Amino acid sequence: MPNLSRCWIALAAVLCLGALAPEARAQGKLVVGNAGGSSADAERKVFYGPFATANKITIQEESFNQELAKIRSQVETGNLIWDMVSTTAINVATGCEEGLLEKIDWSKYFDTKVFRDVGGVSECGVPYLFVSGGLAYDGNRIKDNAPKTWADFWNVTKWPGKRGLLYRAEQTFEVALMADGVPPAKAMEVLSAPGGVDRALKKLEELKPHVHWWKNGAESINLLSTGEVAMAYAWNGRVASANKTNNLNLKMELGAGHVSGCQYWAIMKGSKNKDLAIKLIQYAVTAQHQADFVRVISYGPANRDAYALLNDQEKATLPGQHLDKASLQLGKLYLGFWLANGDSLLQRFVKFAAQ
Amino acid sequence: MLALVAPSVLFIALFFVAPLGLFLYRSIDNFEVPGWLPRTTDALSAWSGEGLPDEAAFRAVAEDLAALNGTTALPLLGRRLNHNIPGFRGLITGTGSRVDPARPGRMREQLLALDARWGEPVYWQTIRRERHRLTAFYLLTALDLRYAPGGGIELASGESAIFLGLLGRTLGISLVVTVLCVLLGFPLAVTMAGASPARANLLLVLVLIPFWTSLLVRSTAWVILLQNQGVVNQLLIGLGLTTRPIPLIFNRVGLYIAMVHVLLPFMVLPLYSVLKSIPPELMRAAASLGAAPGTAFLRVYVPQALPGMVAGASLVFVLALGYYVTPALVGGPGDQMIGYFIAYFTNTAVNWGMASALGTLLLLVVALIYLALGRVVGLDRLAVR
Repeated sequence: MPNLSRCWIALAAVLCLGALAPEARAQGKLVVGNAGGSSADAERKVFYGPFATANKITIQEESFNQELAKIRSQVETGNLIWDMVSTTAINVATGCEEGLLEKIDWSKYFDTKVFRDVGGVSECGVPYLFVSGGLAYDGNRIKDNAPKTWADFWNVTKWPGKRGLLYRAEQTFEVALMADGVPPAKAMEVLSAPGGVDRALKKLEELKPHVHWWKNGAESINLLSTGEVAMAYAWNGRVASANKTNNLNLKMELGAGHVSGCQYWAIMKGSKNKDLAIKLIQYAVTAQHQADFVRVISYGPANRDAYALLNDQEKATLPGQHLDKASLQLGKLYLGFWLANGDSLLQRFVKFAAQ
Repeated sequence: MLALVAPSVLFIALFFVAPLGLFLYRSIDNFEVPGWLPRTTDALSAWSGEGLPDEAAFRAVAEDLAALNGTTALPLLGRRLNHNIPGFRGLITGTGSRVDPARPGRMREQLLALDARWGEPVYWQTIRRERHRLTAFYLLTALDLRYAPGGGIELASGESAIFLGLLGRTLGISLVVTVLCVLLGFPLAVTMAGASPARANLLLVLVLIPFWTSLLVRSTAWVILLQNQGVVNQLLIGLGLTTRPIPLIFNRVGLYIAMVHVLLPFMVLPLYSVLKSIPPELMRAAASLGAAPGTAFLRVYVPQALPGMVAGASLVFVLALGYYVTPALVGGPGDQMIGYFIAYFTNTAVNWGMASALGTLLLLVVALIYLALGRVVGLDRLAVR
């Protein structure tokens, strides 16, 4: 009998603690979906950490690799696990149209003109970093006689060795057109015009025997640093990070032409923490915090005022000087083309690469 | 008796049969077009399909799209029809947001002014073909077929027709991996079954430990080992067996190595459990009756091991069919398997009709293989006694 009553007391104690615990957890919580990796580490260090401490909330990160279906299933069932996501221009446009993301008038919260160089804010998304994909090579293996254009990238006689290219139609087609002599700013125009895709595939056919297709950012760096490829298409943030952490000497020639676009924050439709999410976005897009972010991860800032706060060394791998050589991953032409043709071109590309 | 099995039957029905049925239904489900274009589908059912439809159809489309304006149904309808013709999405959303059926004048002129594509018969023919509640479009595409412009069904053009090839490749790779697993797993399982308990336990643990390591970690480890500057190639070059690195990864060889490594435990464990139950006296009895060791093995041991082999092989084969992460990590561009596209259509393209059609196709093919195998081998002989 005494043992049994002790059991009941213990049970009651546990239940009381359990009832109290929600009180302790009642402080705000924000859930962000992002792709993890070095990007998320930088975001945590510069944005989430300080913001959470200052506002006494917790910010939880979940894995999200641009699977639109995950956003769709959460919003449609009303069972939101995430409050906001870090996503691409195409997903912002689609999600906004299909009612999956909150439509917000951002000008009420901050000056939206500072984002004009990177295409501005959208109804449903705010850009917070600007990533450039371009020609990369190992500075220790190619010392003098560095490649300067995408035609050089295609030239396997003068620079023998394999080439690394992204295993995707998007970005790779634009690069192929740039190698075929199309000015970067006109690449989307030419690609979306009749015959554009055929022209890109024909140019890729020339290089295909020497191509090593990579599927994720870390692989591209690995290929370059081990010498598996002589040159590769790679993203600038990854290259700069690798140089810093692994003491490498990878170089990028953004003047050859680069494919650049923004990563956006978007708030899931129906999120109960909408105001908190907006506050986080406000915090992260200030020039100061954008500059801090660049110092950690070396992607470009979305806020152009951040450039003034950076020194020359920090600006080295940024496309700031080469914005005129960008094929921008935004705007009606880009979005319209890839929204319409994304699936069919992926099928065509996969078949092309397999042969 | 019924009361005893009822919970189990209910569980299977609820969590297996029902979701599977829903999944299969998705591959023919076409609620979007008749649901969101009711007037248009009505008007087009009377149309012959030649040239362009009459003004009534134009008005019907204008009214239907205007009714969808401002709702999420408009872009979703655009997404649905974009699967049939790339670019249809822009046509639907662009027209829906601007058309005004109340404006005087012929709807035909208004629509053509908004987007010249309304003057192309192929868009109208597509809506007409997709006007029913069920559609064959996804299944046909999964088989690389399409509707011919003049009517009937034809093989889709070369550039994007990849699914049959992918299916064939997936089956081929899975078959080779299964055979390799049988060839490697059988000797291992025989050794384990015949060893002393201590040694058998050790071998079992050695088989299980990689089994418990994450798939991604193991696949990435193979990349590091087998790449051109990797450990294996450096060893081979260092030993003087080769001067140039052998391409062992990002091709079919690397894929087989990695997949066999991952799937071998699934072969060894069922096989081991069956072999363990074979009485060793039978082999001695065979020997005492005059059988050579080889004959005893083939005619006494192997037939009893057969159910275990089939169980292990089935497991390995079905698992290998569904793999897409390993081929994506260690395979080359010519080694992608069908799971890659099922995942793409499910997650990124949100084209659940296609994802479901490809899955249905895979399911049907496997079912056919098992039926054929059952006929040939005799299902009762495969039962574990």
